[in-house]
Amino acid sequence: MTESKTLTGGALLFEVLQEHGVQHVFGYPGGAIMPIYDALYDSDVKHFLCRHEQGAAFSAVGYARAAGTVGVCLATSGPGATNLITGLADALADSIPVVAITGQVPTAAMGSDAFQEIDIFGLSLACTKHSFQVTNINDLEKVLHQAFAIALEGRQGPVLVDIPKDIQLAEVTERLDKLSNLKNKVKLPLADISKALDLLTQAKQPILYVGGGVGMANAVTEVREFAEKTGMPSVSTLKGLGALNPKSENYLGMLGMHGTKAANLAVQESDLLVVVGARFDDRVTGKLDEFAPNAKVIHFDIDTAEINKRRTANASILGDLKGNLPLLTTDLNIAAWQEKVQKNKADCAWRYDHPGESIYAPAVLNTISTLMPKNTCVTTDVGQHQMWTAQHMVFDDPSNFLTSAGMGTMGFGLPAAIGAQISRPRDTVIAVSGDGSIMMNVQEFATIKRYQIPVKTVIIDNEKLGMVRQWQELFFDGRLSETDLSDNPDFIMLATAFDIKAKLITKKSEIEDAVKEMLDHDGPYLLQVKIDAADNVWPLVPPNTANDKMMEGV
Amino acid sequence: MNPATLNKYNLIIMADDKQVVLERILQVTRYRGFLINGINAEVNTGNNIATITMSVSSDRPITLLVDQINKLIDIKGVEIDTSAV
Repeated sequence: MTESKTLTGGALLFEVLQEHGVQHVFGYPGGAIMPIYDALYDSDVKHFLCRHEQGAAFSAVGYARAAGTVGVCLATSGPGATNLITGLADALADSIPVVAITGQVPTAAMGSDAFQEIDIFGLSLACTKHSFQVTNINDLEKVLHQAFAIALEGRQGPVLVDIPKDIQLAEVTERLDKLSNLKNKVKLPLADISKALDLLTQAKQPILYVGGGVGMANAVTEVREFAEKTGMPSVSTLKGLGALNPKSENYLGMLGMHGTKAANLAVQESDLLVVVGARFDDRVTGKLDEFAPNAKVIHFDIDTAEINKRRTANASILGDLKGNLPLLTTDLNIAAWQEKVQKNKADCAWRYDHPGESIYAPAVLNTISTLMPKNTCVTTDVGQHQMWTAQHMVFDDPSNFLTSAGMGTMGFGLPAAIGAQISRPRDTVIAVSGDGSIMMNVQEFATIKRYQIPVKTVIIDNEKLGMVRQWQELFFDGRLSETDLSDNPDFIMLATAFDIKAKLITKKSEIEDAVKEMLDHDGPYLLQVKIDAADNVWPLVPPNTANDKMMEGV
Repeated sequence: MNPATLNKYNLIIMADDKQVVLERILQVTRYRGFLINGINAEVNTGNNIATITMSVSSDRPITLLVDQINKLIDIKGVEIDTSAV
């Protein structure tokens, strides 16, 4: 430690953020974080005032995912801190590096049930990768650096740092000389490379099953080289979309509950699964005991705890995908298998020639996908529109499709799009939402208005909580309980109140012009798309059912 | 879970003596589906290393819990104590 000029804990926070390259933060002020906001006043870090702390958390998530960096959000103690929790849980489920800073009541008041006091440190245990509470000003600098290191190390995730008000005000008298490297404490076992190579070369019907870990590891190039060299038919999870080359003849699309028929049938018939940065999520596997029943498994991952968690691996390869994937990149002789899955893919191709004049949501989403500029970033909320987006839009990189995959959080799409747009100001950003989801964080239209953030919002409007309604129709005898939203506000009027240009379309003949108008508009835009409330997402694998027993319509 | 049919395990956990490390271990143990039958925690004040011995039972494989505890940042190591079962 060396003597340096004194500064407050609040000012130190922004110095450390800048040392980590942070230019933008998202937050909402309040009593117990006022010294930090006072220090912000003199800082070069740009703060975006969101209109709810959950919006701030999701904007930080969107920022991190779109730019491949750490997202930062700030909130005050008590309700400010608890409002961050859903965003942190979402970031944990999808392994997103976020650093959340919360104000806390002064250390002398902690534990006294003070005004706006909550044990956010305790609450954070189940929804962060790690968390800190700083009770000594001399620990603050080291803790902040550790927070960034932990957020990014290994399997990425959210870290919370709770800072009492007196620590924010305290003068810093000691600065760190240099940072000791965070130890990589989990020793990864040696990879089963030779065993995996044997499995690979013996397989007759292998499938490459790719997840969100590929994008997180920045290994898109490596996984595409692996897919191309081996010629292996490939499928993707929801979060893995964009990792594989969407134009490859051997790419079969998404697998799982709303996966393509071609993908699910190929996986069920496979004799080897090469699993890359994926975790056999229940929405992927359907009935686990019947998932790819004849397949052996080669599992690549960065997280030891994912190996053998839900499916036993015959060979496991732990560590960085960028280094490990090339070790198995080899030619395979699987022409008959390729021919079979390619035929299946052609037979099961999507169709957009929906009869009638009403708008078929997959068609409008496919039109947006076709017309949007290269490198457009699309976010979604959760529900039918999310699955239609995953099925019918095409993404060429995981950072161009941001969706709440693991947590399935309604309200994600709009604030995530705001964060994405701020991190990538030159790219088009589109938030695809539903008429249920949009109302979950509708206040973030005020953030769009304040900073004139040119996010394009598409509301797929069926006046329903569509996915729940679909399940009520299919699995609960059509008893439509609390899923009617026909009394929603007028979304055009709502957008207008936030100075957002808006348009409503109701007929398929209006789709192309409306999409072009939206994409050509310089500022924020809202396109409301009325669809038939009876439209369902197909295919659908019913819960706890094998993936080859999918429903394709009723 | 039927307690009579559960498998029993003893774990020895070494951890940095940091805030809430014990809460983290307890939370992960409960969440991952393990019952705690007994626990003892001591800190070596010389090196600030805590040693936690914990008797758990579950119908799930113990490797599930060991891997998840190992992921906690302040944990130095986890061993399954086969001698004490």
